[in-house]
Amino acid sequence: MNLFEFCYGIIHWLVDLVNNLWYRLGDVLPWYFGDFFTGVGDFAASDSHLSFMTILLESIIIILVALINVLNFLWIFRKISGRILDFYGPYYVGYRIGGWLQNLADGIKLFLKEIIVPTKADKLGFFLAPIIFVGSSLLILSVIPLSENFGLSTNSSGEYVPAGALFALAAFSIAPFAILLAGWSSNNKYTLIGGMRSAAQMMSYEIPLILCAASVFLLAGSFNFVDIVDAQRDIWFFVPMFIGFVVFLVCLIAEVEIVPFDLPEAEAELVEGWTTEYGGMRFGLFYMTTAIRSYAGGALATALFLGGWQGPSLIPDEIWFLIKAYIVYTVFMWLTWSVPRIRIDQMLGLGWRRLLPLAVLNLLIAAVLKTGGWF
Amino acid sequence: MAEMWINMGPQHPMTHGLWNLRVKVDGETIVDAEPEVGYLHRGIEKICEGLTYPQIIPIADRLCYGSSFTWSHLYCLTAEDLMDVEVPERAEYIRVMAIEMQRIASHLMWLAAYAGDLGLSVGFTNAMRDREVFIDLLQGLAGSRLTYNYPRIGGVAHDLPPNFERDALRTVRYMEQRLKEYEDLFDNSKIFMMRNVGIGILRKEDGIDLGVTGPSLRASGASYDLRKDMPYSVYPEIDFNVATHKDGDCYARYRVRMDEMWECCSIIRQALKKMPKGKWRVVAPRNAPASTGLGRVEDPRGEAVMYVVGDGSDKPYRLKIRSPIFVTLSAAPKILVGYKLADVVVIMGGLDMCLGENDR
Amino acid sequence: MSEGDERGSTGTNSIETAPSRIDADPGQRVLRALTEAFPETVSDGAQVKPRFIRARVDRSDLYSVCRSLKDHHGFEHLTMISAVEYDDGFEVVYHITSHQAGLLLELITSAPKTDPTVDSISSIWGGANWQERESYDLMGVVFRNHPKLERILLPKDVLYHPLRKDFRG
Repeated sequence: MNLFEFCYGIIHWLVDLVNNLWYRLGDVLPWYFGDFFTGVGDFAASDSHLSFMTILLESIIIILVALINVLNFLWIFRKISGRILDFYGPYYVGYRIGGWLQNLADGIKLFLKEIIVPTKADKLGFFLAPIIFVGSSLLILSVIPLSENFGLSTNSSGEYVPAGALFALAAFSIAPFAILLAGWSSNNKYTLIGGMRSAAQMMSYEIPLILCAASVFLLAGSFNFVDIVDAQRDIWFFVPMFIGFVVFLVCLIAEVEIVPFDLPEAEAELVEGWTTEYGGMRFGLFYMTTAIRSYAGGALATALFLGGWQGPSLIPDEIWFLIKAYIVYTVFMWLTWSVPRIRIDQMLGLGWRRLLPLAVLNLLIAAVLKTGGWF
Repeated sequence: MAEMWINMGPQHPMTHGLWNLRVKVDGETIVDAEPEVGYLHRGIEKICEGLTYPQIIPIADRLCYGSSFTWSHLYCLTAEDLMDVEVPERAEYIRVMAIEMQRIASHLMWLAAYAGDLGLSVGFTNAMRDREVFIDLLQGLAGSRLTYNYPRIGGVAHDLPPNFERDALRTVRYMEQRLKEYEDLFDNSKIFMMRNVGIGILRKEDGIDLGVTGPSLRASGASYDLRKDMPYSVYPEIDFNVATHKDGDCYARYRVRMDEMWECCSIIRQALKKMPKGKWRVVAPRNAPASTGLGRVEDPRGEAVMYVVGDGSDKPYRLKIRSPIFVTLSAAPKILVGYKLADVVVIMGGLDMCLGENDR
Repeated sequence: MSEGDERGSTGTNSIETAPSRIDADPGQRVLRALTEAFPETVSDGAQVKPRFIRARVDRSDLYSVCRSLKDHHGFEHLTMISAVEYDDGFEVVYHITSHQAGLLLELITSAPKTDPTVDSISSIWGGANWQERESYDLMGVVFRNHPKLERILLPKDVLYHPLRKDFRG
């Protein structure tokens, strides 16, 4: 049973439950009311309504699972930084589960804080930026399946969103717009410079990222996550395309803006970068979105290069997928805490002069492999 | 982007204190800079005119939170020069040892702040942890953690605590291991080198002309070290090298401080070994003659000088303090211009700011 | 000026023409050369301690004395400028170092209370810039020809000079 069938079952059961009421009402009430309620019941039982509600429920479940993973990621982030930097990390809130509840507590605290808007800020942009940022990041998560059975599909055959990988990458690139908007609308020099830096950084690292993904699409011959993962049944793509894998990871680090590439929010020179003026839950959204994007990045790397949910069947597929994503994220964290921050011009130089040629080389390797008939 | 002024400070993560650096940027390139100081001015020179000579020692401690021992030591040297007090040799060795411990602690705090500026959090926490070891040692010696109030006019407050020598040697041995680790962490990091090599170059002539002293000048190739050039205390009897570097960039400043920490370890060992038995304090006169006294020491940040004028009473008539970082900061615009905005952090971090002594 | 060339024994011409036994000591040599070059204004030359000499200079000749100290005697580093207020006037004390010779010179100049003005030497030693501003700020000594004589530690609108003895907080 896949997620679609599961959700369809639930929705069907619910609709049946409620339709009893509608039809009963339709029987009891006079004709002009009764027809209306019978019509409501017929609409509820129609295929289009059922599949729409199913997809809605599916997305809610997927987003919820993703957000729980994001909480895990934040917890891992704090725990690993504690291990590396000689402190405990979260400890007391949720003592028995290793301080896991600390993030919830922080979230509640941020919710209760006052939202402060600078007087001279552009109110609409200031308000919209976090929404666009968090929304576009959640969009990425909605199309990434955790297994063949757990993903957003539109019919019972398990056919996932066509070109889901392409959609994920496209959603990944909306963020610079939100960041630029946040930086500009805050009306602050630090945020402006941070926003500019962020836009420059994301645009220059987007290209090698997508080129590496393109080589994967080339080998797999599809934009669909299921097909891509299926194509890695014999050999995971990071083996033939190791260069591409490394370039992809580096670009991901730049895209999610963590050290060494956290220049837009380099706290030493730009205070908090483009998030300087944000407080309360709006800041919390930005903070959470960083974790969401880290999770999305780890999931993308897993699906495209690390064989997705493939692994010995002792453990369920979904858990395999998550384990791999967590490992990718742990590597990110390990890197983050052990290197200094790079400078913006050096970073752009790295992106354009090193990573882009490597990505093109990787695309060439993929083309050779494909034409050679190995894939 | 048009040119604009950016205020980095008074409350900004870069400043490590309370001061304001106004930088004029063209895009991200600095075209002009202007430090503004004085936010922490407490009028210590004026306060000292109302206190008796021994009462000034704790005030002198408050000049710099990073290296308070050198300042109280400097004050005692100055007052001894004014009053013609001969300090027992044991006290001199104890002071030299403690100053070098303080120098390591100060340099470690600098290293921590510098790593934090560069975004290298692991360097920050590790250096802070190792600084704590030396703070503990000095706490065992003097009784408090940051402001020691340990030297006296005519010696030190009390003798070494029991087993201090053993603890100190153990700490120094530990520190030498850790220093190797730091050099692995920093020098082997490609990004660290990218951020440091060739950034913030201060030429030797400019440095001397602008009055820059201490590690910042020695990194430019001038081997000016008061401990060698004009020795005070018992430094002539101790064998050590002056750490210099010829490049004058941020990496050179980092390198000089690291080398200095190695030298400090060696000086502490020698001081412990050569320390004679005997008295550790003589009683200083209550009133100073109507004369002047001058003390100069090599602070972790440069050349620290105090000039005291006595008028025959038990209070100084005038006390002037020369803060090394105050003069070094005036050279900052010269170093900053032409580099990127992100380099401000590295360059100013490399100068090792301490606002307590800067603003006095 | 370039470093090292005109320093040490090849200093001023006056040293070359009048060698004597006393010139073996660098401090005595500098004092002697100063008093010979500026007989009217430099006075009270004395060796206080080994490698520490002291001299008084009239404020009219301060700039040229400092210029010759830097150019001919190798005093490349200005350590400290202190201003001291006495009953009859201000004294500005310059501590100037020659690291090559290992020599410290304490150069004292004085100015009356009615006209606390001395020449700025920040064009000779760049390090004097902020120290002169500080002396102006806290003690009210005015340095003539200073490029930017403003308050530095205190806010710009403060009306008093706190280190003066007549200032009561």
